[in-house]
Amino acid sequence: MSFKIRGVSRRRFLSEAALGAAALSALGAGKGFAGDGAVNFACYGGSYNDNITKAFLESFEKKTGIKVSLGADASLALAKLQASVDPAQWDIVELTGPEYEVAVKQDLLLPLDTGLVPASKVPAEYKGTHGIKYALFLFVMAWDRRAIPDEKAPKSWADFWDTAKYPGKRSLSANIGDGSALEAALLADGVALNKLYPLDVDRAFKSLERLGKGNIIWHNTNQEPIQQLTSGEVALASSFNGRVIPAQRSGAKIGFTPEYGGVSGDYLGVAKTSGNAQNAFKLIDYLISDDEASAEYIKLTTYTSVNADALKLVAPELADTLPTSPKLKGKVFIKDDAWWATNLEKTLLQFKQWQLA
Amino acid sequence: MVAMSTAEAAATPRQRRRSRAGRLLLLLPVAVLYGLLMLAPIAFIVKTSFSAGLEHYRGVLATPVLWRVIENTAVISATTTLVALVLAYAYAAALWRAKPILRVVLLGLVLLPFWTGVLVKNFAWAALLQDNGVILDILRGLGFDTGGLSLLHNRFAVIVGMVHYVLPYAVLPIYVTLIAIDWHLVRAAQSLGASFPRAVWNVILPLSLPGVLAAGLLVFIVSTGFFITPIILGSPRDMMIANLVDFYAHQIVDFGGAAALAMLVIAGVSVLVIAYQRVPKEGQYGSL
Repeated sequence: MSFKIRGVSRRRFLSEAALGAAALSALGAGKGFAGDGAVNFACYGGSYNDNITKAFLESFEKKTGIKVSLGADASLALAKLQASVDPAQWDIVELTGPEYEVAVKQDLLLPLDTGLVPASKVPAEYKGTHGIKYALFLFVMAWDRRAIPDEKAPKSWADFWDTAKYPGKRSLSANIGDGSALEAALLADGVALNKLYPLDVDRAFKSLERLGKGNIIWHNTNQEPIQQLTSGEVALASSFNGRVIPAQRSGAKIGFTPEYGGVSGDYLGVAKTSGNAQNAFKLIDYLISDDEASAEYIKLTTYTSVNADALKLVAPELADTLPTSPKLKGKVFIKDDAWWATNLEKTLLQFKQWQLA
Repeated sequence: MVAMSTAEAAATPRQRRRSRAGRLLLLLPVAVLYGLLMLAPIAFIVKTSFSAGLEHYRGVLATPVLWRVIENTAVISATTTLVALVLAYAYAAALWRAKPILRVVLLGLVLLPFWTGVLVKNFAWAALLQDNGVILDILRGLGFDTGGLSLLHNRFAVIVGMVHYVLPYAVLPIYVTLIAIDWHLVRAAQSLGASFPRAVWNVILPLSLPGVLAAGLLVFIVSTGFFITPIILGSPRDMMIANLVDFYAHQIVDFGGAAALAMLVIAGVSVLVIAYQRVPKEGQYGSL
């Protein structure tokens, strides 16, 4: 789970339990769980799962009669474990862009059944050979509006890095493959939005050192920065639009700017050993083709569905805050899944080494 | 005893076999529990760690962060053990000499952390220690200049959280050793002219050392396995060995590497566990 947009840290433990459970089923203890027609869909968990259920699953079950059980803690590790069990415990596993690329390379997923998932409303760049990038997120800088008045709000990562202007600590995501701490560091150091990749990792580390190791609190889950901002522990943090806007709706005084943010997305793929591939593909198709359900998803989560027709059903005020808003063209970077997939392991190790030094 | 061995001698070999089978049957639940929930997963880890010959071990041993993480684990665990032993000794001594009612209360207090979830304890410490948390707020309220003082997200916070967790493991073995010591020995030392501190130093302390040693090893063993406390209370620099296993399994998704690392940890801790088994237990010294 570690480089996913995850909620509570309890999930770390649950995911240990999931690994253990999968290991047991690999020994033959857990068979019979899959293959009975119900689709097991490993997703984020937490309130995100509630939103998926409300937006998609209730109507999907009514329309098709196919039951879906939604789980937490999807990760590349979970996808990899499915490949060692037949039938797989989880039919659908949600993966970040880089994780999806690695999963395809390691042959963990079934090729996309284009008969069941025509994906006619999905722009070509979101269609993969083994999955669909079904949702897009925006990585953003956020701040505590009680500590930083609107007229003094940071406008760029260089501002975010400016400890003279904003004394105190900043919270950044330790999951650099999902959150974009290295990209933010390079932007703060003056790299242009369209010149980020291939990442100059050493320059990013130098930029982080300029901010100061003592000035950074590293968060491991994606609800942490919201908690840290509302508790006043930090005044500045990196986060995601889908975390900040719901927090604002429930009254938190948090500001954010979509500019200089990063667009990334998650894939849905079907495990290679799924006993339920047909129904699993039907569910994936529903997630990207039912306009009303997708629009409801956008409203609930403020993430973008790749269903282009659903965007037309969304109020313009909301559409402007979405990762796909035309107003953001040229003002955000697109997370390069291919670079991350190739360099994931090496960069994670380098980063760990840098953190420990 | 005598009656039983006579009865056993009188039993036919067949009956004896049956009673032995009965006894083995009683062990079945334990065997199932250990076999299914402990030995089978460990066997699976062993298999995974050797799935590419020794390659996973070689890879893990060549990781530049490994030695730093081992050093972290040893230093953090040793410091935790030392602090916990000092606190636990004083607490166990107070327990020993306390009146019965107070003793029950004190014993309840030391057992309380056992009944509290580790996450609750860690988040409570995070709330207390953070930059605008209770402790620094009180210090500032008292007029201290806390300046850039940070209590959270550093090694200090990790050790505070760990000591809190392991304290019962240290108090109980020491307490058990202390209550086995005859208080008359102190009187005897005093009657021979020793001052009270000297009697404690020359009589009580040496007699209680086995308990201290047992507690120290137990606490150290427990400490080496900490996972969530370094994440919640520490900085990334305080990464411990369990966190590195997690890093291998979850982040770089190298199950072979994670399994090999886990095997190395099991091997290292086994040495300590064997040492712990050989520590003389309470009741061997100083008791009547």
